[in-house]
Amino acid sequence: MHDQNDPIELDEQPLRAWDEFAPDADEMPELADGLTRRSFMQRMAASMALAGLAGAGCNDRPTDEKIVPYVQAPEGVQPGKPVIFASAMPLNGYGKGVLVTSREGRPIKIEGNPQHPSTLGGTDVFLQASILDIYDPARSQTPTRAGTGVDASTFWAALGARLETLSKVDGEGLRFLSGTITSPSLIDLIQSVQRKYPKARWHTYDPMDRANRRAGNVLAFGKPLSVHFDLKPARVILSLDSDFLFDDLASLRYAREFMNARRVRVSQLEMNRLYVAESTFSITGSMADHRLPIRPANVAMLAQAIAAEIGVAGVSAVGLDAASARWVKAVAEDLKSQKGTSLIVVGESQPPVVHALAMAINEALGNLGKTVLLSESTEFGVGDASRSLKSLADDMTGGKVDTLLILGGNPAMNAPAEVDFAGALRAMSTDRQTDDSSSHFTAHLGVYSNETAFLCQWHLPEAHYLEAWGDVRAHDGTATIIQPLISPLYGGQSIAEFLGRLIGQVQANGYEIVRSYWQKAAGTKDFEGWWQATLNTGVVAGSASSLISASCGKPDLSNLQGSANPAAIDIVFRPDYSVWDGTFAGNTWLMECPRPFSKLVWDNAALLDPATATRLGLAGDDVVKVTVRNQSAELPVALLPGLPDGVITLHLGYGRGPRRSNTTDTGLGDTHGVNVYPIRFSDASGFSANVDVARTGKAYKLVRTHNHHAMGGPTTPTTSSGKALKPHAIVTPQTSEAEKEVGNRRLVRVVSLGEFKAQPKIVEELGGEREKRPLLSLYPEWDYSKGYQWGMSIDQTACMGCNACLVACQAENNIPVVGKDQVEKQREMHWIRIDDYFDSASESPLVVHQPVPCQHCENASCEYVCPVGATSHSAEGLNQMTYNRCVGTRYCSNNCAYKVRRFNFFDFNIHRETPQQKMLANPEVTVRTRGVMEKCTYCVQRIQNTRIEAEVALVNIEERIRALSDENQKTAMREEGRKREHEIVEGMQTACQQACPTQAIVFGSILNVGGQPTKVKTLKDEPLDYTLLRELTTKPRTSYMARVRNPNPALEGAHSRGEA
Amino acid sequence: MSSIPHDATMQTVNPPVIYPGVTYASVTDQVSDVVLKRPFGKAWMAGVGITMLLVMMLTGSIGYLLLKGVGVWGINVPVAWGFAIINFVWWIGIGHAGTFISAMLLLMRQDWRTSINRFAEAMTLFAVACAGMFPLLHLGRYKFFYWLMPYPNSMGLWPQFRSALVWDVFAVSTYGLISLLFWYVGLVPDLATMRDRATNPIVWRIYAILALGWRGASRHWQRYHAAYLLLAGIAAPLVVSVHSIVGMDFAQSLVPGWHSTIFPPYFVAGAIFSGFAMVLTLIIPMRKAFKLENLITLRHVNNCCKLMLVTGMIVAYGYAAEIYMSWYSGSVYESYLSYNRFFGNYAVAFWLLITCNVVIPQLLWFQSIRNNLYLVWTLAIVVNVGMWLERYVIIIISLARDFIPSSWGMYYPTVWDITVFAGTIGFFLLLILMFVRVLPAIAMAETRELVHETHGGTVPMQNMEPRRVR
Repeated sequence: MHDQNDPIELDEQPLRAWDEFAPDADEMPELADGLTRRSFMQRMAASMALAGLAGAGCNDRPTDEKIVPYVQAPEGVQPGKPVIFASAMPLNGYGKGVLVTSREGRPIKIEGNPQHPSTLGGTDVFLQASILDIYDPARSQTPTRAGTGVDASTFWAALGARLETLSKVDGEGLRFLSGTITSPSLIDLIQSVQRKYPKARWHTYDPMDRANRRAGNVLAFGKPLSVHFDLKPARVILSLDSDFLFDDLASLRYAREFMNARRVRVSQLEMNRLYVAESTFSITGSMADHRLPIRPANVAMLAQAIAAEIGVAGVSAVGLDAASARWVKAVAEDLKSQKGTSLIVVGESQPPVVHALAMAINEALGNLGKTVLLSESTEFGVGDASRSLKSLADDMTGGKVDTLLILGGNPAMNAPAEVDFAGALRAMSTDRQTDDSSSHFTAHLGVYSNETAFLCQWHLPEAHYLEAWGDVRAHDGTATIIQPLISPLYGGQSIAEFLGRLIGQVQANGYEIVRSYWQKAAGTKDFEGWWQATLNTGVVAGSASSLISASCGKPDLSNLQGSANPAAIDIVFRPDYSVWDGTFAGNTWLMECPRPFSKLVWDNAALLDPATATRLGLAGDDVVKVTVRNQSAELPVALLPGLPDGVITLHLGYGRGPRRSNTTDTGLGDTHGVNVYPIRFSDASGFSANVDVARTGKAYKLVRTHNHHAMGGPTTPTTSSGKALKPHAIVTPQTSEAEKEVGNRRLVRVVSLGEFKAQPKIVEELGGEREKRPLLSLYPEWDYSKGYQWGMSIDQTACMGCNACLVACQAENNIPVVGKDQVEKQREMHWIRIDDYFDSASESPLVVHQPVPCQHCENASCEYVCPVGATSHSAEGLNQMTYNRCVGTRYCSNNCAYKVRRFNFFDFNIHRETPQQKMLANPEVTVRTRGVMEKCTYCVQRIQNTRIEAEVALVNIEERIRALSDENQKTAMREEGRKREHEIVEGMQTACQQACPTQAIVFGSILNVGGQPTKVKTLKDEPLDYTLLRELTTKPRTSYMARVRNPNPALEGAHSRGEA
Repeated sequence: MSSIPHDATMQTVNPPVIYPGVTYASVTDQVSDVVLKRPFGKAWMAGVGITMLLVMMLTGSIGYLLLKGVGVWGINVPVAWGFAIINFVWWIGIGHAGTFISAMLLLMRQDWRTSINRFAEAMTLFAVACAGMFPLLHLGRYKFFYWLMPYPNSMGLWPQFRSALVWDVFAVSTYGLISLLFWYVGLVPDLATMRDRATNPIVWRIYAILALGWRGASRHWQRYHAAYLLLAGIAAPLVVSVHSIVGMDFAQSLVPGWHSTIFPPYFVAGAIFSGFAMVLTLIIPMRKAFKLENLITLRHVNNCCKLMLVTGMIVAYGYAAEIYMSWYSGSVYESYLSYNRFFGNYAVAFWLLITCNVVIPQLLWFQSIRNNLYLVWTLAIVVNVGMWLERYVIIIISLARDFIPSSWGMYYPTVWDITVFAGTIGFFLLLILMFVRVLPAIAMAETRELVHETHGGTVPMQNMEPRRVR
């Protein structure tokens, strides 16, 4: 054979045709492996025969169905490349801006939109997990009548007949019920509805509608102003029973701003100070520099005392016990020293008068307009009592309601205890089985066929927010246009589309409704350009409400009274950290997400301080009956240190009943937890003082992912040897020398700002002797000084334990849900967990949240024990897991000192039953099979994408350099290349990092990139940086920054439990 | 045979290795008749029936396990190893007594090994068979077990030789193979005897094939002895190496309670300790059932007891050293581990282990107890339980409480853990029951030599010349 590229050969044989006349041209040339003409024919025959055998599966016929080639791809869609869209997730009527990643038309991941004022790019668990709901097979999939599937046209025919009659009486008897609405286009549409049916009435109900704050603002300012905060300038913050880092409309923004003013670095030795007086244990409380557990009813007294101390006009002093008085005095002094840069925030659970009082204090401190921002409310029909659920229920029982259209929500489940909405609805729907001539007409539009749908005659599936056009306002009024990422998976329409059709708009199309509204509202000539830009950024520019200034009236404190009886039991209601108000009760990611502190999964519980439990003779898992005004609920007890004595915390949103109207199936198979709405009265929506609590003698197995006993949590009174076996993990400069050297694991290091200033090396000192020992290894050192070397830094000062990283990781990495029984067996699969350490030294415990992903040890103990080499180290310092090679000896997990490895004990992905559920999976991440070990990869798929991007950029620049001749230009171009590389590599974020609202997690190369230091390198050089279990010589790439507190010297040492 | 002297008459300080009255012919008759002439007794049939049921339970459990995954067991994170590994180590340990008796004692010219070596080797093989099941079953993806072996493959991958689990594969498979060879080579002359005595033509044919044409020629004997000795030489280091490597399976980790240099010797001693306990557990009923008291004598029982005492003391030293090191190391994790063993959730298992393995075996210091077969048998069972608990304590307690308290957990075995374990006991006993009825349970040829050397058991051991091994 001739090499055609060889020039010499070509010279010798100028013409290929000469081959024809070669002496042996009539012979088949003998090939290298001895293939002759004969054997060639034999092999051909054999392969033809085999081809015939395989013909059934390998023919060249096209499919019978018509297929369409991908010639003209949809604009902007490139197969294999994700596309990101800006949108917003509405919750309780307000929106949080999101960026949704779509792959081949499937939304698979949600991130915060950095340009949106409510999120600033962070996310909470709800944003992250809402992507799961869209694919939920338990979603309502078809219109139903009395639980039986019908065609949508049947419904519209029935409603049309109804409306025809109603239009003759101006809509008398037509009622609408929805949640809070801020959507401008929807409000516009509602007004059209009201024009058409002037006597129709629109009611709103939302269990989380922030009525107390609104009422407080009415007390303070005379009208229901909208309040939000600017935490950037706030140096001293006092939270009165407020969980503003979690449950406020702009919590993500507050968390970001709050932590930004708290980061202590060598170059930044200032931090704000947070005081929290609270009746439960909130994540805000866990961030406090001084936390005062207090009965909920006494918060008002405390507020009054502080107001008096600060000198708010017309507020007289109030008698407090010595500890609280000392606390109040110190807090007031601190606040007074920061006039205009302080802030008092009151939680929604507190009555309006406390909100009004706090506003008065804020005004006295000059905070209004600085840290406290006021604007007109953007809510539809705000503050109108005639729109309440109660008036609707009264009218329903009074026979004044003819046609009731419930648009979203689940009032049958979450109505206040005194409003028997479910009863009224059931009475109206008694004839739900009969024909169109029935006296009433009730319909429910909802994403889920829930308890309310079950009681209505009709139900229609609602589109998920990722399936329909819409718009929504943020806490400050900024509007976002909600873009759908996918057409409705299970049919379904938005509320706007429903209303559009109701008033007879021919094109009841969400897109047209939103677009035509904004065409009017935008007031710009180039609407197309405006529309593009707005959809692009995810924010309607300039749509924020203008700030107004107002002054407070004198607070009326005549009705204030605290709870004096120390033996009384109070209950506090809080939205749940996982299911919120019940909206997410069907979301398995959230159900299995360990709740902050309690680490409960799949259930809610009556949370009690161990001391209170002892007093009541209760232990964990005992079921108690909590009775409020003859209504009662039975819940299991879970112990949680740090709650105020005599106070039980109950989380809302559990105990959801049947979710499918046509079956008795409860959606997920079981009802999880207990519904406590039936004991939540609207005048006591935040707390109920002095309730009855009785043991039932029953027990219920609660499942928690932590051994609380080990985390410094409660010692169950029944175990005698418990105390001595409790390990010590938190080390502070106050920890005794003896304990430091012998019994302390030093996993969590806590210093105060003052201690850090005085001794910058203090964190290393806290590591003790072990920190100074040389790290010896039998194996030769690997050279990690080249290329990218990935590492992570986690700031424990900034981590508030909100779980956003955990759920984000679950979404990014296709992590399965395993169910309560498997979590009980300690087989949860989360790649990152949040360890909550309680410092048991003080009675009001300090809690430190420690997120633990894989530590990516340079000397990884998991690697050398794997017999098949399924886990290995990359040259870039990643501890890699090769799922295909894993045989499942599980030795790596045993030998992982950090226990971050997760094993597929069963086929946990079997829950991806329906095609829709399979659509959710991230195509860049392998779905793991049974018997395989898995763990955090530092989001290696994102790393690879970044490396490719950087490499392409560098190659491009290299080519441009080659084209240049001028040396100076070359140097400049090279410099540009280095900058570009730095930018690309620094732009990479892991899923947990991207989700973190407080930016506690920073990932990147621990070496300089493009000649410049990276963020993570800078952080690792900080003196606060330390690694876990350093003495094991594992050399983790994940390091931690010690928790820094900023205690008030006047209160230092006063950890004792205060009771006002 | 009424002429067999009763145990009661032999309770001296040093009972003879075979009782007086044994002749060449009587040895052969006695041993081969168990296989060839003895009718199937009701007790044996009942034993087979029960153990067959257990084997059925085992296969059922294994089937369910393979169908569902290892999640049917109680393992979790942090305790990712449970009964499977405990049982593996326990069974492997039991096997060690067989090799120790047949190889080590042969090289050390201990005559008392002769009557029990065949049986002990069979026990080794069956124990290894039981042990070998567990590492396979415990794999998350059992179908890829062969990836632990070095073989040329299209993936271009080798096992990861730094992992002790790979050494373990080599150690255990070598051990199984050598034990089988050693056992079989020793069987050849006896198989020929069986062939010659068999009356049933099918049985005759089977023995004939297995006997490899043995004719008893002097050249046969010479080669046989050379091969046997060589195999003994190869097998002897395995007594130490196999369980050392099993010990290293744990010792190479950094888990507190595993990370310990004493593990290899202490594991070997523990293995022999449990192996002798199992030998006693089995031979005491067997010699009685098959009336072999004159061949397996009180001397054997006594010596086994003494070896248990010695190895038990080494094991006790191991425990003491671990406790001492947990204090001396100054490591918070190590000291917590000891503390947790003494007082933690699993303290019962630890104290039970100390009772079974350290306290109760001290009774063996007394001659009267060593001669009381009921007590010795009970004590052997206690030691078997104790050695199982030892592995339980090492594996479960260490994993359940390691470095980071947030990941601490508890291990609760499930019904499937228990059925698999009980099933392997059934499997083991079934094999033993089968073995005693198809193969000579006592090495006839070697015992005949012993008869020659001890003049029918009439010469006391002290006066004998050392037996020459050819």
